[in-house]
Amino acid sequence: MEVKKIIPPVLILVLFLGSWHVGAVIYNMAFLLPTPYAVLQTFIQDFNIIMIGLAQTFQAAFTGYIIAIAIGIAVATIMSLSKILERSLYPYAILLQTVPVVAVAPLIVLWFGFEIKSIIIISVIIALFPIINNTLLGLKSTSKTLVELFDYHDTKKLTTFIKLRFPAAIPNIIAGLKISAGLSVIGAIVGEFIIGSGSEQGGLGVQIIYAQANLETSLVMALILTATMLGFAFFITVSTLGWYLLHKWHESEQ
Amino acid sequence: MIEVSRVSKHFDEVQALAEVNLGVATGEFISIVGPSGCGKSTLLRIIADLVESPGIVTKPNKGAFVFQDSALLPWRTVQGNVELLMELEGVDNKKTKANVALRQVGLDGFEDSYPHQLSGGMKMRLSLARSLVLEPEYILLDEPLSAVDELTREVLQEELYEMWTRDKFTAILVTHNIAEAVYLSNRVVIMSPRPGKITDIIDIPFKKRTPDLRTKPQFSKLVNEIAGKLRTWK
Repeated sequence: MEVKKIIPPVLILVLFLGSWHVGAVIYNMAFLLPTPYAVLQTFIQDFNIIMIGLAQTFQAAFTGYIIAIAIGIAVATIMSLSKILERSLYPYAILLQTVPVVAVAPLIVLWFGFEIKSIIIISVIIALFPIINNTLLGLKSTSKTLVELFDYHDTKKLTTFIKLRFPAAIPNIIAGLKISAGLSVIGAIVGEFIIGSGSEQGGLGVQIIYAQANLETSLVMALILTATMLGFAFFITVSTLGWYLLHKWHESEQ
Repeated sequence: MIEVSRVSKHFDEVQALAEVNLGVATGEFISIVGPSGCGKSTLLRIIADLVESPGIVTKPNKGAFVFQDSALLPWRTVQGNVELLMELEGVDNKKTKANVALRQVGLDGFEDSYPHQLSGGMKMRLSLARSLVLEPEYILLDEPLSAVDELTREVLQEELYEMWTRDKFTAILVTHNIAEAVYLSNRVVIMSPRPGKITDIIDIPFKKRTPDLRTKPQFSKLVNEIAGKLRTWK
């Protein structure tokens, strides 16, 4: 990448960290607003335990993300096959989006227990809708002419799906996956909040609750930073995959 | 031989096509011209069995349909696109046949390019190549040259003519360019709108097509005659 392209975002980062530092020094209440440097120190000092949390949150978010991708693409495919199925299922897919997951999460924990299973399920629920919605949009917007071409040659429905509808939907699927990348991490953190309890050995969400209770603001911030980086890493991975699949032919990646 | 008898079409309450009868001899090149909305594209799709209709269409087994916008798969390379229809039809020796077809339309060397890297003319050559490689007995062409510039259009008409003389397929071309219809066809079918029906069939007497044919007075006379008939419904 050219240096010129990196300068603007780096400048914003420097500006942000600078004003944070100045603000923290003027405010002068380190237990409420620590300086960026103090957060970094905490991060290094508590590195091992933060990494344990990261590993747990990663496991839940990643599993949730993969399950959401599998279910999302499958459901969208089913909906794209018939108008009736789409009409019967789509309202519930929307409910999935509109239900306040934070409110449902305690119920899920009641049903599935105080364990990673519940966290994964909450992550799936949050990450699912954008994948369904975008995949469905993609599968339904196949060029009419291309469908006619395949029809003219009496192509089987399955072949048309594999050779035409699905590849044509990949740009939309990638767009959905990008939105859900961060959401799956949010879902995992929400799940961990609900499971909460007092252990400082849990996932990032559990540790945030624990650090907050102990007024360890710099640790809370270090954990937030770590969770943010996790979501970012998911996003970058999917973006790279998208670039790899699309850059040769699709406008969005050129 | 393609035989269309008593074909008609309603879209809801609107009659798009009145009863249409048309016979196209084996190896003949026919063009259908008419104003927008006269149902010429619908007629072509009925012949292709893409649109249902009462009436009977008989046609040879092996055919190809060439679409207005080339209808290439953007995620496939030129090579992948020229092999597409062979895949759908289960043809063997795809690679060898594809290479020959690409060379014939001057696209050898572009095997690994993607459609978005090609000009409008090259896309249409690719679209024609992937159809011809099926060795079709007939080809249906739906305004295939309407998306390219005027100069390219004439060059492509000449290339299409060469393909037709070389491969001897039966062709039905839908176009709104009268000169194109006169240049390429043995007969030009004129349709009128609402409901679409065939009003005239003009014989085109030229034995051979060369670029300078377009400048001949007889050519202009035929173009004007057909334009005059079409203007009646304006």
